[in-house]
Amino acid sequence: MTRAKPVYSTKAFITIDEVPGFGQWRAAARRCLQNGLHPDEIQWRTGESAVAPMLDLFSAQAPQEQPENTSVNGSVKVHQKFITLAEVASCHHNPDRFSLLYRLLWRQQREGSHLLARATDDDVLAFQKLVKAVYRDAYKIKAYLRFREVRQPAADTGKPQAGDDAVTQYAAQYFAQYVAWYEPEHYSLELVLPFFTTRFKNMRWSILTPYRAAHWDGESLQFADNPESSLYPKDDAIEQYWLTYYASIFNPARVKTKAMLSQMPKKYWKNMPETVLIDQMLRGAGTRLSKMLLSNAT
Amino acid sequence: MHDGLVKKLEILADAAKYDASCASGTAGKRSAKKGEQGIGSLTGGTGICHSFTPDGRCVSLLKILMTNYCIYDCHYCINRISSNVARARFSEQEVIDLTLNFYKRNYIEGLFLSSGIIQSPDYTMESLIRIVKSLRQDHGFKGYIHLKTIPNASRELQIQAGWYADRLSINVEMPTQQSLNQFAPEKKLNEITGAMGHLHEKITETKTLKKSVPGSRKRGFSSRYTPGGQSTQMIVGADSTSDQGILNTSVHLYGKFKLRRVYYSAFSPIPDASKLLPAISAPLMREHRLYQADWLLRFYEFSLDEILAGSQNNMLSLDYDPKLAWALQHRQLFPVDLNRACRHMLLKVPGLGVRSVDRIIAIRRYHQVSLEDLQKLRVSLAKVKPFIMAAGYSPLPSLLEQEKLGSLIARPVIIQPAKQLTLFGS
Repeated sequence: MTRAKPVYSTKAFITIDEVPGFGQWRAAARRCLQNGLHPDEIQWRTGESAVAPMLDLFSAQAPQEQPENTSVNGSVKVHQKFITLAEVASCHHNPDRFSLLYRLLWRQQREGSHLLARATDDDVLAFQKLVKAVYRDAYKIKAYLRFREVRQPAADTGKPQAGDDAVTQYAAQYFAQYVAWYEPEHYSLELVLPFFTTRFKNMRWSILTPYRAAHWDGESLQFADNPESSLYPKDDAIEQYWLTYYASIFNPARVKTKAMLSQMPKKYWKNMPETVLIDQMLRGAGTRLSKMLLSNAT
Repeated sequence: MHDGLVKKLEILADAAKYDASCASGTAGKRSAKKGEQGIGSLTGGTGICHSFTPDGRCVSLLKILMTNYCIYDCHYCINRISSNVARARFSEQEVIDLTLNFYKRNYIEGLFLSSGIIQSPDYTMESLIRIVKSLRQDHGFKGYIHLKTIPNASRELQIQAGWYADRLSINVEMPTQQSLNQFAPEKKLNEITGAMGHLHEKITETKTLKKSVPGSRKRGFSSRYTPGGQSTQMIVGADSTSDQGILNTSVHLYGKFKLRRVYYSAFSPIPDASKLLPAISAPLMREHRLYQADWLLRFYEFSLDEILAGSQNNMLSLDYDPKLAWALQHRQLFPVDLNRACRHMLLKVPGLGVRSVDRIIAIRRYHQVSLEDLQKLRVSLAKVKPFIMAAGYSPLPSLLEQEKLGSLIARPVIIQPAKQLTLFGS
């Protein structure tokens, strides 16, 4: 029944050295497709595995080993939905993500764009798994990232007026900067920036991740690679209220540690200041409950 | 912010935690426009859970009482006038500052504000409205606001609150007037449902108005009247109402007032409890079964009669989830052929969720669905196998006929039985 699979030899090595790297992949994939390269004829490498130094974020150069763009006839047609999801999947840290994306692109040219509806196809499954993991990672950033406030001297304001009270004077000299340090599992920072620029539009904030920092000044974003975690402020004036709130909203009569852990596995705890209280809250729960049940009713 | 505020927060968050509603619901999209001052957004979906406490509940909102002083004496309530708990009261400004400060640090999606009743229902309600109005108008706060309205406050105030809040709720607390008489003598079921009725009317009215005025959508005219709708809560296990009685009330509330959610809160022991209440631990499994039944009613096309068919003493089975219980009662309708059955019947298969059902329907347009497909969809084969037919698979007839089928496939549930506590130990 099954025909012997043709053997392909590698014709192109392509290195994606940006993270997440979707733009580079897209340009390279288009050329490969136009040159009729079979997925098995390409070896995709990522920056993490390549020896090549990281490219500067804004000077996305075309990878050099890429095949020459000789034939431009034969347009690449693919559903917009795939492009959107492929961009999400490309944020995954899996080094094989680009070869999977190309294989799906290739197959869609032959099998039609409804390929993605076949939820049990192995490539589609693997693709969905990547997408899901990245979406989850992005969701958790939106959920578990915590800002700390620092007061920065405002350079552009004039001297405080003589008649102003102390609070107004202070506000004129300093503005609030909100800084967060977060360690995502994937390269998901880019995906969550629209959320933060919308929600905290009128705040100045910085989100630092191990691979990249995004700074928002109220109007535009600026990026810097590999920021220092030491830029994250050590404390915050409001955090103790948050910890108090977290401890007080917990009901010791209904301990469900498993339910908590399924939503908030320990790997996220390092990003969240309130989690230092959990052990102590659980240890105290039993005593608090029996005290309630045994105290005299009124 | 000062130390006294920490103490207040401790008291007034502690007092608010018996409200089961923790999530922020769907209330459309909203954010500050270009050039507009203000903070916050609604993303369009359900609100984000910003943390989880060890009771497994999501922390999405700053859930606090404005005050826990109260002139009422509802026995199930920790804040009743006859309780000896510590009391506190936030100033309006303190609530506003806490909300904004928490929001700016990405701790919360918004505010869930409730209150004990001080002086009079109207006096309390006016104060709550001033807080949410100031958040919206003075601070341009676009985050989520859930306001628990005060029963017996005037109709005008109830209606006014809807212009600032995303969701309004009044807890019925007890499913019947009889139980309310016993536990919350000041509360009248018809007054509570009356207030729900007024709000429902107003919500429908603004929606219709919005549709009928050309261009109103664009200009945001009247567009944000309680966009998240109404919800309520019933306490389970404090009174003697059966599951049927509780679910009946839910069906009535969902149908008549188009409530978005009914929450079920297992009666939880509280400090300084009233002696009218049972001294038992919270019946968490019963609460869980009620939520499952509620889900079947809303998303799985089950009717209340179907859910309760075969129940004993009008109580849901604690051993099996209500869907499995129904399937065991109706073995003659199984096995269901995954490649032919309609959506309605697929939804009735134990172990298949709404998502899996919709995926099966999408896949079977291209090929015959097999067990391997189910495995890839992460469906538990052990659970569904007795009830389905798929490509290359049909269950042994004996599988469905087994007496012990239920216990073979039901996941063992480890839960402490509700313990009667004796004062002197055992």
